Amino acid sequence: MLAYVLRRLMATIPVMGTVALFVFSLLYVAPGDPAVVIAGDQATPAQIAHIRESLGLDRPFMVRFIEWVWQIAHFDLGNSIFTGLPVNRLIGERLEPTLSLMAVTLVFAILTAVPLGVVAASKAGTWIDRTIMMFAVFGFSVPIFVVGYLLAHVFALELDWLPVQGYTSITKGLWSWLSHLILPSFSLGCVYVALITRVTRATMLEVLQQDYVRTARAKGIGQTKVLFVHALKNAAVPVVTVIGIGVALLIGGAVVTESVFALPGLGRLTVDAILRRDYPVIQGVILLFSSAYVLVNLGVDLVYTIVDPRIRY
Amino acid sequence: MTTQSSSVSSLVAPHGAVALRASAAFKTVRRHPTIAVGGALLVCMILIAVFAPVLGTVDPSAISPMLRTRDPSAQFWFGTDMMGRDVYSRVLYGTRVSLVVGIAVAVFASIGGLLVGIVAGFSRKADAIIMRLMDGLMAIPAILLAVALMALTRGSIGNVILAITIPEIPRVARLVRGVVLGLREQPYVDAAVAAGTRTPKILYMHILPNTFPHLIVQATYICASAMIAEAILSFIGAGTPPIVPSWGNIMAEGRALWQVKFYIVMFPAIFLSLTVLAVNLLGDGLRDSLDPRLAGRL
Repeated sequence: MLAYVLRRLMATIPVMGTVALFVFSLLYVAPGDPAVVIAGDQATPAQIAHIRESLGLDRPFMVRFIEWVWQIAHFDLGNSIFTGLPVNRLIGERLEPTLSLMAVTLVFAILTAVPLGVVAASKAGTWIDRTIMMFAVFGFSVPIFVVGYLLAHVFALELDWLPVQGYTSITKGLWSWLSHLILPSFSLGCVYVALITRVTRATMLEVLQQDYVRTARAKGIGQTKVLFVHALKNAAVPVVTVIGIGVALLIGGAVVTESVFALPGLGRLTVDAILRRDYPVIQGVILLFSSAYVLVNLGVDLVYTIVDPRIRY
Repeated sequence: MTTQSSSVSSLVAPHGAVALRASAAFKTVRRHPTIAVGGALLVCMILIAVFAPVLGTVDPSAISPMLRTRDPSAQFWFGTDMMGRDVYSRVLYGTRVSLVVGIAVAVFASIGGLLVGIVAGFSRKADAIIMRLMDGLMAIPAILLAVALMALTRGSIGNVILAITIPEIPRVARLVRGVVLGLREQPYVDAAVAAGTRTPKILYMHILPNTFPHLIVQATYICASAMIAEAILSFIGAGTPPIVPSWGNIMAEGRALWQVKFYIVMFPAIFLSLTVLAVNLLGDGLRDSLDPRLAGRL
């Protein structure tokens, strides 16, 4: 097991290396000379040259790349061009809303999608199945901001049940925290729910045809227990896989959701950084999200051994 | 392998088979009604895009400060925005942007992914390097990658298409590579190799046609997600220039007023959802008809 974990960790190195190379080239090929931007309008060519030298911008690509990776390895993401603050600090300040949003979405999506998929598979071909699959297609097709604005319009403006926008920290009370996250999580979770439901249903359809399911039924075990204990356990691997892969959807969607619901999270930080062309911040956020994504999927690989003891490494 | 026989027959079909094929197509559509529903909806959208100028629209960029934020009425069917532009005209012209971006991305990503995938699938040496690179690109969430690419360039439709295409290429490449690796083991490819057929001809005659069914299904999904991606990019201000009436831009402009003038956001949202739904339904139906083993499963 330990050997497997180590081997999987090693396998992420080339992936993260490629990500790092891409993220670094982003700054390298970016239009506009960072030295000119930092120096400001009044700078003389000598001053610009000086800044360029002090930043090491005059040295070759590979040298700068290796230095940059070394810096990243020490968790130093540089400073924002726009505010001059360390990117680490900017990210740290914005981490809580995004993490909260993703956590709530993840819990909500799994708790909805897995039972929906199981029910659809067990009622395959009936109107219940067709209705659930219809919703899944809609979930795929209706973009986040459409769901978001619609929900906000109905539940926040018309009915006044939930706050329209904004975020309050979890330290200021559980309900006020959660109430600000219900609508965003639902909007963000739609695609994710659709994805997990479809995969759960497809896998369950296969599992339900297995001999052990028939045996379990023959033994007189109730339908719920057969579905959720015997069958679902055996359908777990593809479902867990798609939950991991789908995290990319959540990350991309968070950028939009945070804009719609005015959540001060990493997505907003990204959008602001893009609009200001604040490359160190863009680099930092992409690196952070990509490593999170890679780590989640590494974790998923390890979860396999728990959900399916037949898999050994 | 139904997929193979169908594509082979379409390659060698004599002239007399046209009627037969038409009736086969009709049968397919009847068996998979999602193709008909999705297709019809999509044709409507294409017609709207083509005939936008004659569908009672005015200049979508014409500003009239006297007529700002009028609610929907007989004169302004979808109301007017904060600059007095007619939302109906803007939404109809926006159909063009979405369809062009969706189709262009689907085509370019398919071609790019096909080339990369075939090379990776046919050359062991290139495979290792190419797939590592593709894995790396895929580790960056697609929207984030597109947003980062847009940060490098000016906002224009061409750049938007490019920025959405690049993150999709690794996904197509991986699919094509998988198909190619499977096809290489097929007896008829072995036979072709044994008969001394040159590699380019094997690729062109035997491998390429068999990747198409998979590619077409994948392309419809790419088209759908590209239209959403375009709207997202424009919505956060990193997409098509604000002067272009794209659905994302209309929503971005309506965003400031959404609590009081909900319709400005809602009309483009409905059009976008319907178009994406149409393409997704079409894709589901095509997948089911091209790969019967999957039918009714996913």
